[in-house]
Order: sequence, then C-alpha cells, then structure tokens
Amino acid sequence: METNSKKLTQKELRKIFWRSWHLDASWNYERQQNLGYSYAMTPAVDKLHEDNPEKKKVALKRGLEFMAVTPQLSTLILGINAAMEEENANNPHFNSNSINAVKTSLMGPLAGIGDSLIPGTLRIIITGIAIGFSMAGNIIGPILFVLLYNIPGIIIRWLCLKWGYTFGTDFISKAEKTGIMEKVSLGAGIVGLMAIGGMVANFIWLDIPVKVGSGDFAEPLMTYIDQIMPNLVPLALFGIMYFLLGKKIKTTIILLMVIAISIAVCFIAGLF
Amino acid sequence: MDNLFVQAVLIFAVTVFGYLNAVLGSSEINRSIVIGTLVGLVLGDLKTGIIIGATLELVFLGTMAIGASNPPDRVSGTVLGTAYVITTGADIASAVALAVPVSMLMASLWDFMSMTIVPLLAAKADAYAEEGNSKGVDRMHYLGLIIPRLRAILVAAAFCLGQAFIKNIIDNIPSFITDGLNYAMGIIPAVGFALIARMIITKQLAAFLFLGFVLAAYFKLSLIGITCIAGIIVALWAFNSNRMVQAKEAENGNEF
Repeated sequence: METNSKKLTQKELRKIFWRSWHLDASWNYERQQNLGYSYAMTPAVDKLHEDNPEKKKVALKRGLEFMAVTPQLSTLILGINAAMEEENANNPHFNSNSINAVKTSLMGPLAGIGDSLIPGTLRIIITGIAIGFSMAGNIIGPILFVLLYNIPGIIIRWLCLKWGYTFGTDFISKAEKTGIMEKVSLGAGIVGLMAIGGMVANFIWLDIPVKVGSGDFAEPLMTYIDQIMPNLVPLALFGIMYFLLGKKIKTTIILLMVIAISIAVCFIAGLF
Repeated sequence: MDNLFVQAVLIFAVTVFGYLNAVLGSSEINRSIVIGTLVGLVLGDLKTGIIIGATLELVFLGTMAIGASNPPDRVSGTVLGTAYVITTGADIASAVALAVPVSMLMASLWDFMSMTIVPLLAAKADAYAEEGNSKGVDRMHYLGLIIPRLRAILVAAAFCLGQAFIKNIIDNIPSFITDGLNYAMGIIPAVGFALIARMIITKQLAAFLFLGFVLAAYFKLSLIGITCIAGIIVALWAFNSNRMVQAKEAENGNEF
C-alpha cells in the first residue's frame, strides 16, 4: 500500500488557475502553447517533485511538449495532468508516459469542441447582441461584450480545473456516456446558427444604386428585390461566401477579392 | 506637440492592453469592439470610437486564433484606423481602408516572431528543463510573452509619425476607391458569418440559420429577441429528447 504523502493543496490549484490565463501568451509555430502550458503546470511540478530532481526534469520536459487546446478548457487537461503527476510522485510503479498519452489524446477533441463552442459560437452570439448597441454608439455594447463572454469563460475555466483534478480521466468518459457533450454542442449550435442568420439580415448590406424603368416610372432595383424577399441580397452574399469557403479558397484572398471587385465596379460605373 | 506626446502614450497603453489579451485569459479584449472604444476614450471621442469599433468588429468577425496560424493583428489595425478617423474627421470607410492592410502587415511581423524568436526561447526552455530549473523555464515563457508584444512601440510610433502622412495619402485617393471600400465594408461581414457558420453547421441544424434570418428579415426581430427564441427552442428540445431517451430505454428493456 502506497502512502499518499504528496498532495496538491487548494493553493497550487489556485496558482494553476491563474497561470492558465497565460496559455496563448507565448504561442509559437513550433509547439504552439507549450511554454504557456508548462508555465501553468509549474506550481504542481515544483511542489510534487521537490525532492526528486529526476522526476522533476522529466515532468518539466513533458510540460514543454506540443499543446493546442481552447484556453478556457485547458484547465481540464491541466487538472487531469496535476492529478496524474500526484500519482506519479507517490507511486514508484506509475508509468509517467501515460500522462503524455492522456494529454495528447485529450487536446484534439477538446480543442475541436471548445473552439467551435467558445470563441466560435458563444462569441458570435454575444457579438450579435452587443454590436447592436455599439452601432448606435452606446457604451453598453463593449461592456456587455466583455462581461457576457468572460463570466461564463472564467466559470468554465475554474470548473474544468476542479473536475479535471477530482475526476481525472473518468470525467471525459462519463461526459461521453451521458451524452452531455453532444447535447451542449447541439444546443449551442442551434442558438449560434439562429444568431448568424439574424446577423446576415442585419449586418450585411449592399445597396445597388441602379434604377429600373424609365422616366417617372423608374424605381430603384432594390425595391424590386426587396419585394421578392427582404434582405435577399445579404442572404445571397452570405451564400456566395459560404460556397467560396467550401472551395478551400483562403479567407484573405476572398477579402482582397471583395475589395478589388468593389473598387473595380465603382471605377467602371464612374466612367459612364 | 505635448498633446501629441500624451496621445501617443495613451495609444501605446491601449495597444499594450489589447496585446495582453492572451495573458488575460484569452478574454477577447483584443476585439475591435473593445479596442475601438478604448481609442475613442483616450482621444476624447468615445461615441465615434464605439461606432468604428463596431464597424471594424464586423470586418474582423471571422478572424480567430484557430489551428496553426496567427489571425490578423486586429489591435494595431483598429488602433490606427480608429485614431485616424477621430483625429482627422475622415469618414468611417477610411478606418477600414487603414485597418485591414495594417493588421495584415503587423500579423506578418507577429508571424515572423512566432516562427523564429519564440521557438528559440522554447529550445532554451528545454535546456532549463533538462537541469530541472523550473524558474528558468518560466522565464522563457515571460520572454516569449514580452518580446512579440513590443510591436506596440511600432503602433505608437506609426500614430505619431503617420497622421499627417496618412492623411496626405488618403486625401489624394480618388473617389471610386473610397466608394468601392464603402461597398466592400458592407460585403466583408458575409465572409466572417460564412466562416463561423461552416464551423457550426450540420445538415440537421442548417434550417435554424434560415429561421434566424427569416425572424430578422420579415419580423424585424433584434438579435436579443432571436437569441431568446433560440433559447426556448433548445429548452424544448432538451426536455423532449430526455423523455425520448427514457422512452427508448423502456422500449429496449421490454424487448429483452
């Protein structure tokens, strides 16, 4: 029977929490969030391997491996890693390679769900709500944006650390079994897509200054288009962009093309 | 002159604040909607700052740090674009005209740093790890955090030197270009919406995008209204799907 002599306290967990805020700060093309991740892990490594320099070296090097995950969910991996590191410090038979395996297997799916859920869907919904105020020059817009995005973000970050540390690897399999992950991403998808639909109608605009008909009967083309369906032009523009992105055309190319075509059309129109 | 110096210091502070996004929990404080507001605040025209921030937010909406690349450097673009409009009284389209190229240019500098300097620091961190020196590893993180953010000095310098220079250039731009940019400004958000839609969409959920569109286009509902309806739909679906799972389980139970 092993003695669980080394144990992380609330103090280290709090430190990991605050340090996890730096995750993306030293991002690089080679191993992405590795420096930030190891920075967040340091309090646990220092405390658990105080008197075992060999294990400390390996643990520090492990922290510097490739990492790419949604920052707000990174604490789930950090928590699990901390729990496993604790086991590693106390149990001489523990195979510390399993920590790497767990880290690598978790970050992919977690980043996949997390990126589309938090900086993707959540941010879009909140931007949609805030930008209406901002467009009118109302200070509530930016304040609402920062609060609505970060309050849930910070709560999720703390809970993930707690769950990761307490339940370890069980957490993910439990979450998968109950289908809660699937449910959350489906629900967020519904809200997110409806918000995008609303924003397509509200925030894309293209006024075609062409008149149809002649003399007194000339009517702006837009009047006719709006009679078919209001905001049909924004919807069509959205459809075109959606299609182009599906063709794997790079976003910057599309942006530059839009600018170039707009200018070219104005130039040609100016000739008449 | 003193006035310009004070303004440059404040602009520098706003830029640093924006660049600290990834230190402050990736809290999206580097978004144009926030940065434009802060620039407006320090230059004494809050309202214009908020409006330009919102306009640039729509331009940069689809840009986010995903996968293996840096997004455009929205902070530098928003700071210089907003400052330009506020200090010269130009129209908002010229903020876009300035923000887009600046953000792309600064992003390539940022990319260069993330490809060369930071990986070198990481290599040094490996060496410290080999010695079991966790303080050394942390120090490399701090350097990797600080060095790329020195870009803020460039932004402040561009603000000082550039105003007259940029004004000169923009004043001489023919009107078809500013008109074109005005149209582009209305179209570009479509790219951002499409990018994010592609990330979320499944066949099963596609209809909800059109529901949101129809609610806005025909019923003139605000985004808050649409979000409320979406929330109600999710609630209804979540409760019913629970019941369906239970019914299914009961059914399966009967079979065996």
